[in-house]
Amino acid sequence: MSPARPTSTIAELRASIADKRTTHPRLHEHSPRVTTMSRRPPRGEYIETDTGNKVARKATLVGTQNIMLGGKTVIQPEVMIRGDLVRSVQSASAASSSGPPANNTAVSIGRYCFLSRASCLRPSGRLYKGAFTYMPLRMGDHVFVGHGSVVQAASVGSHVHIGARVVVGELAIIKDYVRVLDDSIIPPNMVIPSFSIVAGQPARVIGEVPEGGHEAFELRDLYKTVGNNPHPVPT
Amino acid sequence: MAPLTPYTFFQCPCSEPSTLGRPADGSSGAGAGAEPDADDEDRAFDPRAPRSNYSLYPLEYLLYCEDCQQIRCPRCVAEEIVTFYCPCCLFEVPSSNLKSEGNRCTRSCFQCPVCIGPLATTSLESHPDPNLLAAPDNSAAPHSGPYILTCSYCNWSSTEIGIKFDKSNGIHAQLAKLRNGGTTRLTAKERKERRKDLLQGGGPATRTAEAAVDGRDLDVDTQFANLKAFYQNQLADSSSGGNGLSSLGDMGFASPSSLSRIMSIYTGGSLHDKRSKLRIGTMREALDSDEGLKIANLDESGAIEKLQEEGYDATVSAEQISNQTPNLGEAPLHGRGRFTSELRPIPYLLRTKRSKRCPICRHIISKPEAKVQATRFRIRLVAGSYIPSITIRPLNTPEASPGAPSDTLQPLKPVQFLLTFKNPIFETVKVTLATPAKTPGRFASKVTVLCPQFEIDANTDVWDEALKDGDKDKRRRRGEDGPHQAEAGKIWERGRNWVSLVIEVVPASLRLDLLALTNPTGGQEVDTGPLREDEDLLEIPMFVRVEWEADAAGDEIGSAPNKDKEGREKRELAYWCVLGLGRVSQS
Repeated sequence: MSPARPTSTIAELRASIADKRTTHPRLHEHSPRVTTMSRRPPRGEYIETDTGNKVARKATLVGTQNIMLGGKTVIQPEVMIRGDLVRSVQSASAASSSGPPANNTAVSIGRYCFLSRASCLRPSGRLYKGAFTYMPLRMGDHVFVGHGSVVQAASVGSHVHIGARVVVGELAIIKDYVRVLDDSIIPPNMVIPSFSIVAGQPARVIGEVPEGGHEAFELRDLYKTVGNNPHPVPT
Repeated sequence: MAPLTPYTFFQCPCSEPSTLGRPADGSSGAGAGAEPDADDEDRAFDPRAPRSNYSLYPLEYLLYCEDCQQIRCPRCVAEEIVTFYCPCCLFEVPSSNLKSEGNRCTRSCFQCPVCIGPLATTSLESHPDPNLLAAPDNSAAPHSGPYILTCSYCNWSSTEIGIKFDKSNGIHAQLAKLRNGGTTRLTAKERKERRKDLLQGGGPATRTAEAAVDGRDLDVDTQFANLKAFYQNQLADSSSGGNGLSSLGDMGFASPSSLSRIMSIYTGGSLHDKRSKLRIGTMREALDSDEGLKIANLDESGAIEKLQEEGYDATVSAEQISNQTPNLGEAPLHGRGRFTSELRPIPYLLRTKRSKRCPICRHIISKPEAKVQATRFRIRLVAGSYIPSITIRPLNTPEASPGAPSDTLQPLKPVQFLLTFKNPIFETVKVTLATPAKTPGRFASKVTVLCPQFEIDANTDVWDEALKDGDKDKRRRRGEDGPHQAEAGKIWERGRNWVSLVIEVVPASLRLDLLALTNPTGGQEVDTGPLREDEDLLEIPMFVRVEWEADAAGDEIGSAPNKDKEGREKRELAYWCVLGLGRVSQS
């Protein structure tokens, strides 16, 4: 991820929500008669940030300071992202007690990612130099995480399609252009090389992605179909 | 059953009878001599034929050769290997190493023998007691203890076969020196050195030591080496005597002198031959394990006892044993692993990056980058960027089906599907479709394409299109007034680079008793056997012909660019494809 790319933290998200609130929250408890004080726009299912991220209101994002979203990412309802499982900074050297939050990323997601309903992103941890710490979970661009999948990998590359109900074990490394089929269980510490099709419990490489299949991983069209004003699904 | 998503398969021309160049076989078949060739052209492509299974591919799998202007499939391209690498450590293996060390990873990458998951190297050392006086931050490397391989999926570890390692890297080399159970094994190099010491007069001490090691359980590797050395000695000994047979030792049994000698044994038994036979030193067979003799141990009572103790779960499944590499450290045949304690970790098979060539013109049509980490391709000519892609979805007009659409197609009820053709090239293409009126097979469904000939616009840039005419609706010929009807001869909808049209299908009835009645050729026997696999699948073979104009290939550099109409040549491409629409319900 180059530093020049605009990323938005969830702190930005909060700021954008605060802007949209123009009335006192207590007014919602009364009857649904529209008051003359102010007219609020209807609450959409998604919050759309400046950088184009679409985060559902019903998604559970814990530890939002440690979650970095690339632009144009879709997070559907019931998704859980554990940003609280962050590496504990060992201040052996004279580092400031509250380091800049950018250094303490738990989960970093690229552009045009799509996290489907009920999926979970969870950084994985291991014993490093005697102490148990969490490794940051890095995801590339155009990553599709299917319904109900749990991703605990150490890193996921770009253009990866993870199916439904998949469990990606701890410290697994998934490279680019990988397709994980539904109901697979990727064992911990597994490395999946690029251009593989993976399935099974435990997952094995069962095929290779053909040269003509690279465009199928692009999620730009899928991004447009979601949101408060969705485009129709292309036929 | 789950509803079938409609699919499209394309046929590669490599399997067409015309390209196969078969000689006109008048001997086989119906006996018509010159007929088969003409017959093949007229006969529609049958997707249910067993042969067509091997020639149909989805669009992603097809490549395109620009010089031949033809589709190429994975079956007909010639592949060449660009790089070998291990799929676990992603290290590139030079091809010279491949010949010497085989096609498996020789670093520390192994697969669990029980579940074929990845194995990780872990240290066995327990953590030092915190009560003891030790460095508080534990930064001293705790990884000094013996190492084992553990599987994090099924929790198998190498302690179950009794193997521990001293170092954490180079496990492949360490494993070669160990047997299941922890005893060491001599590698080929070490054995050679021992033999050299023996020949140089090491004396009885070393001899007994080696005999003690090899003893009863002679493993495959050692036995082979001993036997080979023994036979070489025998050949050298037997050839030292005899007349004019000094060359035998070098050339073995194929030399002319030895051949003549052998032939003379068969032709007559004169005294002369008997004498020559006596002079040749007789070869003997191996006598002990040092010379390579291994007595088969046919007593399996030990294995049977073990089976009774440990039960069925301690035995190896067929899949597990087939994934194992040959274990050269154990006795052959009767030592073949049947228990899980005899399994060994499996080194990873190396994976390759391959470049593909057109089989006819030998041009490269797909070439990945040599570096393992790079995912780009230097050359990537895929069919998806040359031929129109076809997507299918059912067309649910409100008048036709008031109820909810069912998973399967109803027999004898007409149903309409919407085909969308998307044009990937930068020229306008003219598409002509042809389908047989009835699908081939036992249960023929009726097919009607409402618009068999149409044009698709070029795949221009989105920006060009938007800037050219702001009113996009002008291009979309949707039914502005009145209901959107599927008319014969008219397309359904048109977009920037795509066209959609309607086909109407009447699925056949799957009733076997009606088969005899509806059979057009009344004289022949009707096959009224039960429904075979996939016979209820509704597949339509379709012949697609694509024509477009392209700039003539300008090979001459010096010629002035001639962009007139004469410079453009018409190109066409034709292929069969199969549209799978769904399953017909059996009611």
